[in-house]
Amino acid sequence: MVISARDVTLTLGASTAATTILKGIDLDIARGTSVALLGPSGSGKSSLMAILSGLEQASGGRVQVAGLDFGTLDEDALSRARRGRIGIVLQAFHLLPTMTALENVAVPMELAGMPDAFVRAEAELGAVGLSHRIGHYPTQLSGGEQQRVAIARALGPRPDIVFADEPTGNLDATTGASIMDLLFDRRAATGATLIVITHDPALAARCDRIVEIGDGRIVSDRLR
Amino acid sequence: MNDWRLAWRLARRELDLRFRGLRLLLACLFLGVGALAAIGSLTRAIDTELASRGSAILGGDVEFAASQRAATPAERAAMARLGTVSETVRMQGMAVRGTDSVPIELKGVDRAYPLYGTLALRGDVATVLDANTVLIVPALADRLGIARGAQLKLGTATFTVGGIVTGEPDRLGEGFTLGPVAIVSLAGIARTGLVQPGSLYESKYRVRLPTGASPTSAVDRFKAAFATAGWETKTRDRAAPGAERFVDRMGQFLLLVGLSALVIAGIGVGNGVSSYLAARRGSIAALKVLGATSGIIARIYVLQVAVVAAIGIAAGLVAGVLTVPLIVWLAGDVLPVAPRFTLQLAPLALAAAYGMLIALAFTAPPLIEAGRIPAAGLLRGVAGERRVPLRKTLPWVLGAGAAIVALALLTAEQPALSAGFLAAVTGVLALLAVFGWAVRRSAALLPRSRRPLLRLAIAGLHRPGARTGTLVVALGLGLTLFVLLAAIRTSIDAHIERTVPQRAPALFALDVPPDREADFRRTIEGIAIHPVIRTVPAMRGTITGYGTTRVADLKALPEGAWALRGERGLTYSATLPEGSELTAGRWWPRNYRGPPLVSIDERLAKALDLKIGDPLSYTLLGVERIARIASFRRISWDTLGFNFVMVFSPNAIEDAPHNLAATIDLAPGEETMVMRALLPRFPSVSVIEVRGVLGQVRAIVSQMATAITAAASVAILAGIAVLIGAIAAAREARTYDGVILRTLGATRRQVLAVQALEYAFLSIVLSLLALALGLGGAWYVVTQLFSFQWLPDYAAVAATLIGGAGLTMAIGLIGAWPILGARPAQALRQL
Repeated sequence: MVISARDVTLTLGASTAATTILKGIDLDIARGTSVALLGPSGSGKSSLMAILSGLEQASGGRVQVAGLDFGTLDEDALSRARRGRIGIVLQAFHLLPTMTALENVAVPMELAGMPDAFVRAEAELGAVGLSHRIGHYPTQLSGGEQQRVAIARALGPRPDIVFADEPTGNLDATTGASIMDLLFDRRAATGATLIVITHDPALAARCDRIVEIGDGRIVSDRLR
Repeated sequence: MNDWRLAWRLARRELDLRFRGLRLLLACLFLGVGALAAIGSLTRAIDTELASRGSAILGGDVEFAASQRAATPAERAAMARLGTVSETVRMQGMAVRGTDSVPIELKGVDRAYPLYGTLALRGDVATVLDANTVLIVPALADRLGIARGAQLKLGTATFTVGGIVTGEPDRLGEGFTLGPVAIVSLAGIARTGLVQPGSLYESKYRVRLPTGASPTSAVDRFKAAFATAGWETKTRDRAAPGAERFVDRMGQFLLLVGLSALVIAGIGVGNGVSSYLAARRGSIAALKVLGATSGIIARIYVLQVAVVAAIGIAAGLVAGVLTVPLIVWLAGDVLPVAPRFTLQLAPLALAAAYGMLIALAFTAPPLIEAGRIPAAGLLRGVAGERRVPLRKTLPWVLGAGAAIVALALLTAEQPALSAGFLAAVTGVLALLAVFGWAVRRSAALLPRSRRPLLRLAIAGLHRPGARTGTLVVALGLGLTLFVLLAAIRTSIDAHIERTVPQRAPALFALDVPPDREADFRRTIEGIAIHPVIRTVPAMRGTITGYGTTRVADLKALPEGAWALRGERGLTYSATLPEGSELTAGRWWPRNYRGPPLVSIDERLAKALDLKIGDPLSYTLLGVERIARIASFRRISWDTLGFNFVMVFSPNAIEDAPHNLAATIDLAPGEETMVMRALLPRFPSVSVIEVRGVLGQVRAIVSQMATAITAAASVAILAGIAVLIGAIAAAREARTYDGVILRTLGATRRQVLAVQALEYAFLSIVLSLLALALGLGGAWYVVTQLFSFQWLPDYAAVAATLIGGAGLTMAIGLIGAWPILGARPAQALRQL
């Protein structure tokens, strides 16, 4: 298993303001599969992704990702753990506004100490159809182009796992569909495990497995 | 190392060449470091100029001076063995023309004068300074309304004005003078009849040494031969020690004021970096998502801040250096010398070090905080802020603060004074910080107004991200300094103008012959209504030792022992002098005939750790004598009467030839009448009007106040920079408020009113605070440190405050102007 979660809980806030987001999640994900975490807004799917990707520490339970026990790692160790292992695509793109498309894609590889970061970044941008935009800044790109850069950035270091949190949420239907095509194509090309967070059943249906989350718990888990 | 390289690569990509987001950091460091660089460079440049022109300023390579006597043949021969000798005599005198008289500094010079430099005369006239000729400075010519060729009387002799002196090369080395200078030959001064046994004159012998000879060893050789003769010596390296000391101390004080301004600039630096990093929270969280550690994040922004700070500091240093010629030009004759343009590395290094330490102290907390922005922040609108524990930031802040204090004290001329100043500024800053917090809290606790505009204005003082606290500190210190200076300056000025003349005598008279004292009194009493005349024997002498200590062996004078520096006035009295209070020991009986005794100023006694019964050795007319300390006295200095640090029992010094000095209290308007009556009968007596002396003192106080105010202005400028930074940082929130208000139907005038109200609150709070702290501090300085009366000019203080508060409001409103220009529809799309 590339991901293994046991009795994972997440509580945010303290004392009377404390809110329990995740209420005991057990989940195993096999290497190379594609999994959709499906659920309505506020169900806890994004929080689960945050824990599985090391962006957040679980309040309870045990999380193992690519052989590492995330519960024992601090913030910096989690950052290092993500390098080259985990790629993340977010709904709001979150490109670095002061860097060009090429630099944005190169950053995680530079952080991972890859000497050919820029060569690989250029190739990755070519793979997502943006060879002609490598010197452009995020503000000079359309929403769809920005998300393509984000996908290239996530897949550039050839990670074992790619998380995509509502990757089409900020895009129109046509652009969204083409972005998902691209994401699945690139995943297939790289062999990465893909976990897509969505509330769109049609999008979830493109994955090998659909895990439905409701009120902080897994309510169904089925193979397609 | 690799992490630093990578961080530098990423930092470079993000760094904007127009320094967008870091301009406040740049401006604040530029201002603060620029001020320090200018003050330090100017001080050092003046010192360098004084040293480089040492021979001309001193009038020789070395100088030997003695009071009330000329050199003995043996002493003169010893000087001649050192090199070429020039003799001058200097004394207080009166220049008389008809019924007009002016107190002057009379200077007799020999043919060798000047050994260095040139005595410049108006029109480059060639004049032989014979026994009948006098050269006068323009101020004397103007006062008497005379020109070249006119005649005037000095003492008992008449002289013809041979020229108007436009440049006296050794002017600065002569020190403080009461009146303009008149120069005659030694034969001429003998004609005046003023130089008599017991008259208060000073003989100076300047020596031009052979090339390569060491001034110090020349002085040492001479002093070894005449150790107890009371010669006061100077060398060309410290030709004008008084001026040098004044420049150094004033420079030190201004540097401390500048350092306070830099601390205010530091607040701007901290705010600027905080705003910059706040705007980059998204990028920082994104970098974390991509695998950057907090260490890398911190390095990226440390490098960016360091680059911009270095540029700001460098620009400040350049501006500081370039400002020096401007200050020299603006100051005109106020400076002791006009220094040439030079690059002074030490003060620049000090200014840069202060700049770097301030940048470190104020940027460390936001930079450390930046490294701790969680990656999960991206998922929660980057609101997931974590407070950085104090133990992470405090060592950096305290370390930098300690280094600043250490640097200030190590480079201080008077460390105790510097420590006191720094403690006072730290106290005021702490107090302002508490007030800032209190203002914010109070605004939050105020009942919510029913008027939406007022509610919004008050909310602006305490809303999340409001900079009320830092603004109170940043603007408060500048305003407090201005109020403090205005109150001190006007209070001292009023004291000198109003109170001192009430207590001080109307006239001083020097060199009254003791055998004609009764005649002197009769002359005054014959004209004036109820004059009060007090006379004291007046001599000059040097303290050469106390207890088992020889003054010549001291490496540095103990703090407060200024009486050991050069010659002092000596007197004797059978009774305790008026204005003195005995604090220890006993006064000698009226007809005391035992071993010589002396009474000492209690402050000097404390500085030298003297005990009753200790011996005190002193030189009088070239002969060393010893007296035992019989008592200590508290002296009331502010009477402006004749107060002596040392008062001897009559049998100790009355055998030495001497004259009397007198203070004369008169009814207003009697001064001229009395002077006109005295001078024909007592041509050897010098009469000085207190009014003239007070004018000189007030001019000096005013010049010092101007210099300090100029340095304090940098604190105001830094405060304004902080205000502008705060306005810029809050622009997004304010634009949002403005747009929503206008969407709901508010007019632009109403939106502006919200801003006006908010800045009006802030200005009122700042004014009250500055008034309380500034007046409190000024009261302490005026009444406790100077022991002056508390007489501030409240109108001037109020004008200072209104100006400062008005400026705050005006800048606030100007900052609000772009918000009014935002079109709601367009702005809403961007929000």
